[in-house]
This record gives sequence, C-alpha cells and structure tokens, in this order.
Amino acid sequence: MGPGVVLVLLAMYIPVVYTMYLSLTDSNGLDTPRFVGFQNYVTMFSDPSFLVSLMNTAIWVVGTLIIPVGVGLLVAYLSFGLKWAGIFRIPFLIPYALSGVAIGVVFNFILQNGGALSQALAFLHLPGAHTHWLEVAPLNTIVMILASSWQGIGVNALLFIVGLQSIPKEPLEAARIDGANGWRLFTSMIWPLLRPSTTIVVGLSIVNSLKTFDIVETMTQGGPNRVSETLGVTMYTDTFQSSQYGLGAAVAIFLTIVTVAASVLYLRRQLAIGDSSGSGKVTEA
Amino acid sequence: MISRVARYVVLGILGLLWLLPIYLLLANASKSNAEFSGSQLWTTGNLGAFWGNVVDVFTTTNVPGGLGVSAVYAVVAPVIAVILGACVGFAVIVLKLKHGFTWFFLVFCGTVFPIQMMVIPWFSFSANTGLYDTIVGMIIIYSIVALPFSAFVMRNFFTGISESVFEAAVVDGANVWRIFTRIYLPMSTSALVVVFILQATWVWNDFLLSLILTQTSARPVMPLLNALQSTEGGGPGYTVTLTAALLVSIPTAALFLFTQKFFQKGLALGQY
Repeated sequence: MGPGVVLVLLAMYIPVVYTMYLSLTDSNGLDTPRFVGFQNYVTMFSDPSFLVSLMNTAIWVVGTLIIPVGVGLLVAYLSFGLKWAGIFRIPFLIPYALSGVAIGVVFNFILQNGGALSQALAFLHLPGAHTHWLEVAPLNTIVMILASSWQGIGVNALLFIVGLQSIPKEPLEAARIDGANGWRLFTSMIWPLLRPSTTIVVGLSIVNSLKTFDIVETMTQGGPNRVSETLGVTMYTDTFQSSQYGLGAAVAIFLTIVTVAASVLYLRRQLAIGDSSGSGKVTEA
Repeated sequence: MISRVARYVVLGILGLLWLLPIYLLLANASKSNAEFSGSQLWTTGNLGAFWGNVVDVFTTTNVPGGLGVSAVYAVVAPVIAVILGACVGFAVIVLKLKHGFTWFFLVFCGTVFPIQMMVIPWFSFSANTGLYDTIVGMIIIYSIVALPFSAFVMRNFFTGISESVFEAAVVDGANVWRIFTRIYLPMSTSALVVVFILQATWVWNDFLLSLILTQTSARPVMPLLNALQSTEGGGPGYTVTLTAALLVSIPTAALFLFTQKFFQKGLALGQY
C-alpha cells in the first residue's frame, strides 16, 4: 500500500509544480511551451475579464457569508428544541442532495426571460416581470448566489444544530433565571458559545464560494460576454476554451493562493478538532 | 407560548418558499411537450406525461448510459480511496510511521488545493497516455481526489482507538496485516461508511473534472445533463431536460435521506 500512497502523492504534487511552471510559459496545449517569465501574470491583471471575475468572486464570497450562513443559523435556531423539528427542516435539506448542475438546470428554467419567476411577478402585479435576470451584471451573479444559497442553507443549518446541541444547558438556565431572554439571550450567551460551529461554517462557506464553478458554468457559462464569470470559470475558459494554458495556469495559481490563505485559519481549527474532540465525534457514528 | 407559535409560522413559511423550486421541477417534469406552454409554468402536470418524459429520457437522450458510468465511478473510486485512506491513517497513528505526521500533512494538503491547480497536467497526461475519456482513467483520478479527505478522517478516527488494542494483538501473535484487516477495519466501519457516502455523493455530482477529462465514452451524467440545455441542434425541450435533472438527483437524494445521521456526523468533518 505504501507505494500506492506515494504514487497518489506524486499524482497530486507533480501537477501542482507543473502548473506553476506552465504559468511562466506561453503554452497553448499543443506546441512546446516557451518560457515567458511573469508575462501571464501581467496579462492576467490587465485583462478586464479577469478583473470582473475577481470582483464577481468577491461578491460570491460576501453573498455566501450573508445569505446561507445567516438563514442557516436562523433555521437552526428557530427549529432547535421544537417538536417535529425534523419535519420542518426537510424543505431545507432536500436541495442539498441535488447536484450543482441539476440546480443550474432548475434555476435556468425559473429565471429565464418569461420564466416561472417572471410569470409569478406578472401574476401578482409586482415589478420585475420583464427583468432579464441572467443577462445583466451584477444581477446575474446575485441571482446565481441566491440559487446556490437555496442549496447551501440546509448544510449550514445542520452544522449549527450540532453546535446548539453541544452548548451546555446550565449557563443558559442561569441566564434565563436572571431574566435574559430572546435577543439578549442569543447575542450574549448562544452566539459566543456557538463559536466553534460558526468557525467551521464560515470557513467552509468562504473556501467553497471561492471555488464556485458548477452553477455558473451551468446557468450562464460565465456570460454574456464573460460578465458573470468567477475565478473557477475564468480558469476553465482561458485554458480549455481559448487554449491559453499559460494564462489559465496563472489564474489557477492565483485562485489557489487565495483559497489556501482563506483555509489557514479554519484548517488550524480542524486539525485541532482532529486531535481531541473530533475523533470522539466519529466514534459516535 | 406565542414565541413557539411564531417559530412554527416563520419556519413553515420559509419552508414552503424553499419547496417552490422543487414544485416547479416536479410540475413541469410531468407535462408533455405538447401540453407545455411557456405561459403556464405554475400549473400542475400529470403522471402520464411524466412517464412519457421518463421514456423520452431513456430513449432519446444519452443520459441512461451516463447513469451507468456515474454509478461505476461513484462506487469504485470511493471504495479505493477509503481503503487507501485507512492504510494511511493506520500507518501514521498505529504503526507510528517514521515522519508520520509529515506524510499525513502532505496527503492532507491535497484537500486544500483547488482542483484547478492540478487539472491542466492531468488533462495533458491523460491525453498523452491514452487515459483521456476512459473509465479506468476517471476512476484513477477520482480515487486520487478522494484520498486526502478519507485519510484525514481515518487518521482522526484511529487516534480515538486505544494503543492497548494494538499491543494486545501483537502479544497474541497477530501480524500487522491481520491486525489491520481483522481488528482495525471492522472497528471503524462507521467512519468508513461516512467517508464512502460523502465521497460517492461528491463523485456522482462532479462536473468540473468530468467536463475536462471526458468527451463521450467515459462521460458521466452531469455534463450530459448540462448539454441537454443546449438549444443548438434542437435540445430535447424543457420538460424532458427537467425530468432528466430529476432522475439524476434520485440516487443522491435517496442516499442522503436514508443516511442523514451519517451525513450529519460527516459534515462536521468539513469539505462539504
């Protein structure tokens, strides 16, 4: 088994190094790559579609932090301790089982011009019935974040529920007896005690939103005219659609640096869990 | 008391809102192309038309072949990754491999890199070796991608097993292989199942890798589903496409609903 593991390591690390090398060449996938120094990085940072993509990815990160994390916490908090809580959570869990592509197909159907959303708005005499949801930036990015949130809230709610379950009852009871309730109880007791779960949810949300690909590629292919691309889509388009392998590799490296930087804080936490309580959690399963 | 009622009401309204896209999916997957009119998207469909669409998916699109291919990937690659991952965890924690943490850290870093960082060389390599668009090639790639996470979980799991288990087995004269297969693997069934379920779901739902590394014969179901949306050359129409989206979601949805508890345990482990 040892040699197998070494092979896997080679299969991961040689490509990482090779991608670094490619980013310094003018590779187009066919001809022998020629060394061009940091030219690809210069091209990348002066390429308007890359800058738009960078901005969109930032919108994805912020949007994914506000909506799925916020509503996920709301669902977890509202349903926690309720009778039939499991049944009330089902609507939020169903979307989690769907793939990014299936969600893209469904939301394309809802958001296309004259689609289900436009019809509902027209029926209710609300404004927006003639909006071209997927054709105008940054509106298309925002509605795709909503589509992705529709899927992501269930997972976050589950993670917050695990966190709520692990909060000790005594301090909460003591606070209640002292007269704290509702908003006060939440902000001064529950929110601080939930911090381990919040760290995991926020960390996962940031890392996953940085890598956004499936929904955008399925719904708009990054278009029209590359206005809704994310870094993941830009890397794919530059490399495999425009055959600019060197430029694509540079985008991949930029994406990797950002993702790894974002991961550091949250991974520290995860490795810590692995050393102590994490193993206990798996044992219960 | 009132706050309890308010919680039910808010959750209920939010839940109904969340079910609307599912309703639209079901309603329009059960309309025939003839009945389907662009202005009646919110009306209900009927079972007969749904069955007609299912038949259309199976007779007029390439989705059924993709379902078979996806099933092979989603079963074989996670099994390989889980077993290799258990080996890594066992070697690092139980056998106290020299520089074990370094090895583990190297494997673990694989969960941090985005796939974009490795996919160009994988594409070139598979094209040069004839592994491009082959089932074997894709199984190898999926196993590699799934290994780091499975090694991570199995290592954490083995840290929770007392050292005396290993020592007792050695005293009883069992060799390392026997200890691994007869004692440690059976003890960790639950962790192995969690990892398998998470990785099988991930492989089934993968879009990026399959889009880049396959074209026809080894293409799993997600890129095929995406291609149904294309209107160039006359796609199959929205009712059939939505039916296909529903069909490809059934395996993961069923797996998720039946193993929800496992999922909840696995979620805390990250990645998903």
